[in-house]
Amino acid sequence: MIPYIAYLGISAFLFIIGLAIMMSRKNIVAILLGIEFILNAAALNFVTYSKYSAHNLDGHIFALFIIVIAAAEAAVGLAIVIRYFQLKETVHIDEASELRN
Amino acid sequence: MEYTITSIAPIFLFPFTAFVLNAFFGRKLPREGDWLSVGAIFMSFVWACRIFSDFIFGKFSTDYYVHKVFNWIDLSFGEQIFKIDLGIYIDNMTAIMLLMVTGAATLIHLFSTWYMKGDEGGYGRFFIYLSLFTSAMLGLVLADNLLLLFIFWEIMGFCSYSLIGYYNKKERAGYASIKAFMTTRVGDVFLLLGILAIWSVVGNVNYVDIYSAISQGLFEGKVVLGISLATFAAFCVFMGTIGKSAQFPLQVWLPDAMMGPTPCSALIHAATMVAAGVYLSLRMYPLMQLGDITHFIAYIGAITAFGAATIALVQTDLKAVLAFSTISQLGYMVIGIGVGSYNAAFMHLITHAVFKACLFLSAGSVIHAVHTQEMPQMGGLRKKLPITFMCMMLCTLAIAGIPFFSGFVSKDRILGDALYWGLFSGQSKVHFLVPFLGFAGAFLTAFYMFRMMFLTFFGTPRDQHVYDHCHKETFSFNRNLPLIILATFTLGIFFSGSLTGQGIAKVFPKGGQEWFKILVEAPQVKKFESYTKEGFGFSDTRAEKSWEKAHYHHQSGYAGINPENEEGIHHAHVEGAIASIIIAFSGVFLAFLLYIRRTISPDKFVNPLRCWYEALRRKYYFDELYIDIFIKKVLLKFNEFLAFVDMGIYDRFAIDGWEKVNRVLFKASKWFDDVVVDSIAVDGTGTSINIFNLILRIVQSGKIQLYFFILLFVLAGYVWTLDIA
Repeated sequence: MIPYIAYLGISAFLFIIGLAIMMSRKNIVAILLGIEFILNAAALNFVTYSKYSAHNLDGHIFALFIIVIAAAEAAVGLAIVIRYFQLKETVHIDEASELRN
Repeated sequence: MEYTITSIAPIFLFPFTAFVLNAFFGRKLPREGDWLSVGAIFMSFVWACRIFSDFIFGKFSTDYYVHKVFNWIDLSFGEQIFKIDLGIYIDNMTAIMLLMVTGAATLIHLFSTWYMKGDEGGYGRFFIYLSLFTSAMLGLVLADNLLLLFIFWEIMGFCSYSLIGYYNKKERAGYASIKAFMTTRVGDVFLLLGILAIWSVVGNVNYVDIYSAISQGLFEGKVVLGISLATFAAFCVFMGTIGKSAQFPLQVWLPDAMMGPTPCSALIHAATMVAAGVYLSLRMYPLMQLGDITHFIAYIGAITAFGAATIALVQTDLKAVLAFSTISQLGYMVIGIGVGSYNAAFMHLITHAVFKACLFLSAGSVIHAVHTQEMPQMGGLRKKLPITFMCMMLCTLAIAGIPFFSGFVSKDRILGDALYWGLFSGQSKVHFLVPFLGFAGAFLTAFYMFRMMFLTFFGTPRDQHVYDHCHKETFSFNRNLPLIILATFTLGIFFSGSLTGQGIAKVFPKGGQEWFKILVEAPQVKKFESYTKEGFGFSDTRAEKSWEKAHYHHQSGYAGINPENEEGIHHAHVEGAIASIIIAFSGVFLAFLLYIRRTISPDKFVNPLRCWYEALRRKYYFDELYIDIFIKKVLLKFNEFLAFVDMGIYDRFAIDGWEKVNRVLFKASKWFDDVVVDSIAVDGTGTSINIFNLILRIVQSGKIQLYFFILLFVLAGYVWTLDIA
């Protein structure tokens, strides 16, 4: 049996990668990718705890929901990116600073 | 006839519909819509005839009644029950009243088409009010509870007000209408109080519920203002009667009400509306007994009957004589209620309605012909107005109490019962005063009615100009037919079934009783101990179940008077009848001596009793008492006192003092506003926000990844605080 620390480790790894992408990349599409990483890390965490400590299907259900939400979020996010590109002709994140100050 | 909503409602709805149609479209209709009013009331009359024939000619037993209700308001919530049912209640009394009201109203409507003809600008208006009045009166008679009765009562008051002030170019008519309205209002307020008092006990104001509450003793032990609640309620309800039926303290409005057109005087102020007060007291008769105010009622009636008769002695206005005789006759009905002569009081109500309506219509016929109301200007009109004279003579015979006429039958029964009540019923002999005043009033009635007849129709014309102006009367159906029909019904035989009212001839097989005596009995509360109301829509089944055919099982003359001492009652009645015959004829004879033979000059009485004569002419100074003393001295002084309290004390100290307090408070609050609120709170908020702004601007860089960074630190800090280990 695989120890649950392995799952959590992968989960943490994915989270860190996602976070790093989010923090460092200036491309909006890449940031969205980072968010996907983070969501998957969370889903993996849910499934892990569901399997190892709760002994029920709640976490699995959560994981399914997270997948659906991720899909929806990706659709909305990409749509925003396309509109943003049409407006600014760039996908650079620092150009989106209209709300500054 | 099935008693459902469709069979009963039209009797009220015909005149009401006529009122609505006339009120909105009357001006566009031919003849200003009078045919609509007359036709409607005639249809009501036909309906009333059906009900009357059902009830009187032997379909139901004596104590049969129809009581149908529908739910008007239902605010019941949980334990609290608040329901108002409206409905109709028909028994023998209602049936007789319906026939009387619709019959008299039909004839008076018909007469009005002649009397009011050519009246500019008001002909249609007159019929509008007449229709509304008639529908309200029919509604009042049909009503099964005091609340509905009160509603129609007030509508009638309004119609009375409008019709008294009908000649709106006359200033006096306007004042008279206000006086009538305000005076009756005193009684109405008491009546409303009485209704509320009854409601507080019964939880309802159905007649039947009230009777049943009385029989169950719900009124016992209830006290209000230190007196028993039953007495209080009975007194308040009777005050309604005093106001509407112009009894002793509130009689002042009825003579002034004669400012209205004569047909309206006939309908409202003689036949129906003023009788409604007596009708109310009759309906509430068990309450009057329970409240033990019958002595009070008898004395009020006696004072009114005698006092109004004395005033009528000296009046020279034709309609004023009739007005005072109306008050006097209503006093007899109230005596009847007081002495327990329930049946006779109701009988007098009906007979009086017939002959007084006829008297007023005849007076209208005379006034229309000679264009004056003053009797000293008339005289000798017998030859010019033969039909009117004949009709008026029959009615005068009736009201004077000459045997074989209706007035004798009913008034004699009231006086007989009063005599028994005063002398033989075992109570204090002081109460002989009531029958004594009654008999004295009867003597005066005979005298002043014949004085009126002699002055108007006999002798030689006193004012040749007026006499010549008067046209010879030729029969016209809307002038004379109502008079003739009404005069026919002044014959006693229609009411007693015998000529004298003492049971010589027998129409009904049961032992020598008048049909009135058999059919109308005081409500016996024991019968109402348990009963069921019926919904309005259901057809009536009890008729087939219980009473297939007439069988009048009559409770040994429960006409009101205690039937134990039948011998004594009979004795009193025989004595009373002899006395009233002698009294009536002597009154007529005295009038004959004074005004026809002129062997005695009226001055012989007037000169030594000058101050009394003046008092009578001024109606015992009641108007002066009310206006000069009660209103001007008491009410106006009270008004001035209230004005002083308002202006001198309340305004000066409370309002002006409050202003001073406010000035100080204003200064304090202005300082508070300027310093604390404006400079510290408002400006301080702005300044502090500015300072925070400077800090927050650094964070709001617009760089999303910086936000992520902050978020991450917040998250990290949060996780740090969690007690993971």
